[in-house]
Amino acid sequence: MGLKEILEHHIVDHIWSWVNLGPLRLPISKHLLMMGIASLIMLVGLPLLIRSRAKALAPFRSIIEIIVLFLRDEVVYPNLGHKGDGYMGYFSTLFFFILTLNLIGLVPFGATATGNLAVTAGLALTTFALINFAGIREQGVIGYFSHIVPKGVPGWLYPLLFPIELIGMVTKAFALCIRLFANMIAGHIVILAFISFIFIFGSLSAIVGFGVAPISVGLVLFTLMLELFVAFLQAYVFVFLTAIFTGAAMHPH
Amino acid sequence: MEALIRPEFGLTFWTILCFGLLVLLLSRTAWKPLMDSVNERERALKHDRTTAETARADAEKLKAELDAKLSDLKSEIGRRMDEARATAEKEKDLLIEEARSAAAVIVESSRKEIEAQKIEAARELRHKVAELSVMAAEHILTKQLDHRANTDLASKYLAELEKERPDLKLEC
Repeated sequence: MGLKEILEHHIVDHIWSWVNLGPLRLPISKHLLMMGIASLIMLVGLPLLIRSRAKALAPFRSIIEIIVLFLRDEVVYPNLGHKGDGYMGYFSTLFFFILTLNLIGLVPFGATATGNLAVTAGLALTTFALINFAGIREQGVIGYFSHIVPKGVPGWLYPLLFPIELIGMVTKAFALCIRLFANMIAGHIVILAFISFIFIFGSLSAIVGFGVAPISVGLVLFTLMLELFVAFLQAYVFVFLTAIFTGAAMHPH
Repeated sequence: MEALIRPEFGLTFWTILCFGLLVLLLSRTAWKPLMDSVNERERALKHDRTTAETARADAEKLKAELDAKLSDLKSEIGRRMDEARATAEKEKDLLIEEARSAAAVIVESSRKEIEAQKIEAARELRHKVAELSVMAAEHILTKQLDHRANTDLASKYLAELEKERPDLKLEC
């Protein structure tokens, strides 16, 4: 088995069957299962934790509260202003959804759904929709599209800049999609590579393989810690950039 | 390796569906109560703070009022003391004056009394002296008018009369 097969086995989705829903041909896959598990955890866990008055759960409640307040005060309010209150549900859910998917990817037998381009594309599409929705809601359709090109640009540049800005909007969402996907699979690839080292060196001789193993395992542990950090960081970055783009669409000046 | 970056867009649909439902459901079940409780707490904190601040302001105002009242009272007390002192001084002067005038009256009346007594005594003395002199004269006169002298005088007078008027002479 080469590295290619190992990588594809561990990172690429496993499609078990297909569902036909009208014109759509929808896969039932491992990543969908992970999304389902994440959704279940969030749907059951978050309301329970938030509503419970149990003393044992108080620290978890505080953690959720601290994260949500951080998102509100450091991410949403600075970019969206106090109109951001209406978007808090979206941003909080986005953060916890990405975080949960990232963390499930680190659990044994789990798979990283956010390491799938289709999943991150779905998230980026919702962000794209949110950016345009918020901009149109704030400024009206005409106001929004007339503000797409920044103010103070000479009139003759408009025909050139308008398509560029339109492409820019798509690019932002596309960049979000690729950033999350790349960050999530990068760690996995590195871990798999480190583990493969053991077998690569083991194929030279068993002693070298055992000699390399502790170093590899140490490096894998280090990378896992890094991935844990990246799981939080990328969830934050995704939400933060979404907030910046949404804020820019709402307040064009 | 292209399987890594070959997206299966059916999963995109699932993602959007899943995420959209999560946003809708969690907004109601999780974020709303959380934000409500947070806002409630923030409001309570703000309320507590404003209450405490107003209480402090009230206390300071009250203190200032009490201080002002205290200083008012102090000045009032000082004023009253001064007044009382002045009144006492006046009263003392008045009393002394009164005593002095009363004493003068007494002195005057006693002098008059003494004068009257003196006059009375003098009159009485004069009266007594007159009485005494009359009584002395009476005594002297009584002593001078003794019986023999009187008889002699009477015989002398009778002899003279017989001589002058022999007709009347008694025949004895």
